[in-house]
Amino acid sequence: MKKQTLTQAMAWLHTWSGLLFGWPLFAIFLTGSLAVFDQEIDHWMQPEVQRQDVPVALAAEHAVAYLQRHHADAGAWNIALPSERDPGLRVTAGDRRRGISTDLDPRTGEPLKVREAAGGSFFFHFHYTLNLPRQIGIWVVGLVALVTLATLVSGIIIHKKLFKEFFTFRPNKGQRSWLDFHNASGVLLMPFHLMIVYTGLVIFGLIYLPAALHALYDGDFEAFYQEAIGEAPHHHGPSRAPLATLVALGPLLAQAEERMGPLSAVSISHPGRSDALVEVRRVLGNRIALSKGHNMVFDGVSGKLLAGPPELRPSVLTQRVMFGLHFAQFGGYPMRWLYFFCGLVGSAMIASGLVLFTVKRRRKYLVEGRAGDFGHRLIEGLNVAVIAGLTLACIGLFWINRVLPVELAQRAGWELRLFFALWALTLLHGWWRPHLQAWREQLGLAALLCLGLPLLSALTVDHPWDDRTRLLLEATSVICGALLAWTTWRIGRRAEQPAPRRHKASAALEVN
Amino acid sequence: MRAVFSRAMAALLGGYAFTYAFTACLARLLPLDRVDSLLVASLPAFVVYALAVLWAFAARDAWRAWLGVPLALPLALIGFWPQLLEHLG
Repeated sequence: MKKQTLTQAMAWLHTWSGLLFGWPLFAIFLTGSLAVFDQEIDHWMQPEVQRQDVPVALAAEHAVAYLQRHHADAGAWNIALPSERDPGLRVTAGDRRRGISTDLDPRTGEPLKVREAAGGSFFFHFHYTLNLPRQIGIWVVGLVALVTLATLVSGIIIHKKLFKEFFTFRPNKGQRSWLDFHNASGVLLMPFHLMIVYTGLVIFGLIYLPAALHALYDGDFEAFYQEAIGEAPHHHGPSRAPLATLVALGPLLAQAEERMGPLSAVSISHPGRSDALVEVRRVLGNRIALSKGHNMVFDGVSGKLLAGPPELRPSVLTQRVMFGLHFAQFGGYPMRWLYFFCGLVGSAMIASGLVLFTVKRRRKYLVEGRAGDFGHRLIEGLNVAVIAGLTLACIGLFWINRVLPVELAQRAGWELRLFFALWALTLLHGWWRPHLQAWREQLGLAALLCLGLPLLSALTVDHPWDDRTRLLLEATSVICGALLAWTTWRIGRRAEQPAPRRHKASAALEVN
Repeated sequence: MRAVFSRAMAALLGGYAFTYAFTACLARLLPLDRVDSLLVASLPAFVVYALAVLWAFAARDAWRAWLGVPLALPLALIGFWPQLLEHLG
């Protein structure tokens, strides 16, 4: 870096941080957009689960009866109740995340045979860990988010004529069109981008920057949590209390529903003992502030209310509102669609920036006669594999879910192995094929898979379109497929018609 | 290349040190109770960090890019003085 003006320094930073961090960022944005509909994708990926209108109290009663029959000696039970988004009834004995789970028919309480699936929760976990070990992943994603924040601000500094660029779009002009799209989408959604990146950092903020926690609490998070929110009664370890009959859940659920709105789950610790506790959780999303962990706790024998959802002080509420803005659990389906749309446009903004980098550089390298340069080929190959390849692998996961045999052992694990194998193949393919063909073939295949999803369902599942969630998911897939097909066609058209008065190679570089 | 590496390190590590010390200092000085101080100091911390990153690349020379580190020392002293006093006995 030579001596340069602020704008030049910021442009340099924007270009290079954008390139290096643009790849993981695209993956985070794309999987994050899909994770907006994580429960809907979970539901689509388990076609054995039917949507049924069963009162929550009755479903809970069936669940308790099943757990008493099969897991009477477990230290804890968890019951995921049917909800609008995910109509399945699932019981877990033991730890809520690691225990033994069974899907039940909410009408009868009989166990259902449901395929193991990676589900939409995979996209959710990938979104904040990149599938690395959790702690490492959180830090890597945090680093990407921080650099993104700096890159966004540097982007604002570069574009002094922000308002003008907002209205500038020159289509069919190659590099200029990529730049215009990158600017227009970047500027138009700048509030969304800043909000989503910042709130994402705040979610793990006290992990990334525990400075104030160290200064004021000597790093004791439990002590802070106790003071800030207060802890509801809970158990550690197994019970030695005498046996006692579990309270009937129906009245407790009615009481909780009246106070908190729709419910998502019930956890019972030490069921069947005299010190049993019943914790009722609500569906996240009655308000912007993320209400995770704010539940009602009842005595599991007498049914007495022990703790209600806490009232939050303004500072804690502010933090929770920032969490909530990121998780998008408020505002129902219209808000989810808005986040999904903004997320996809954001992904396209990142992708256009990455493509713009190679388009610009290729022009320079052609002049200097270094177009086959290793570094440039590497960047182009990675661009294809990250942008087109990950898109292909994501829609591929939906196909894998329907095609893999239902009775396969460790099935969810195999779904993911195939997902990553497919993604790795796109990297090889992007390296091996000529640049434009690699784009066209991968995007074209992704388009086909998206367009064909309803057909695949029709061939592999009984009554595939009876369920409105699954129907909408497949309709969305078809729309995305059409967009991808259009993109593929555009790339193809540009590649086949060299622009007049130009060398063929330089016409091709305008589009990639 | 070395200058770029130095700036990148100044941005990420120097910026972290500065933000960490700044946040601790702010949390200590705010006239609020512990919970509020912690959150009011921590929630905007990433603005500080992002600006520190930009500073490292906007600074006139690669040495100035590291300015955050010497600034972090007095801030950290203020932020952690009770712990420091305890440590010194």
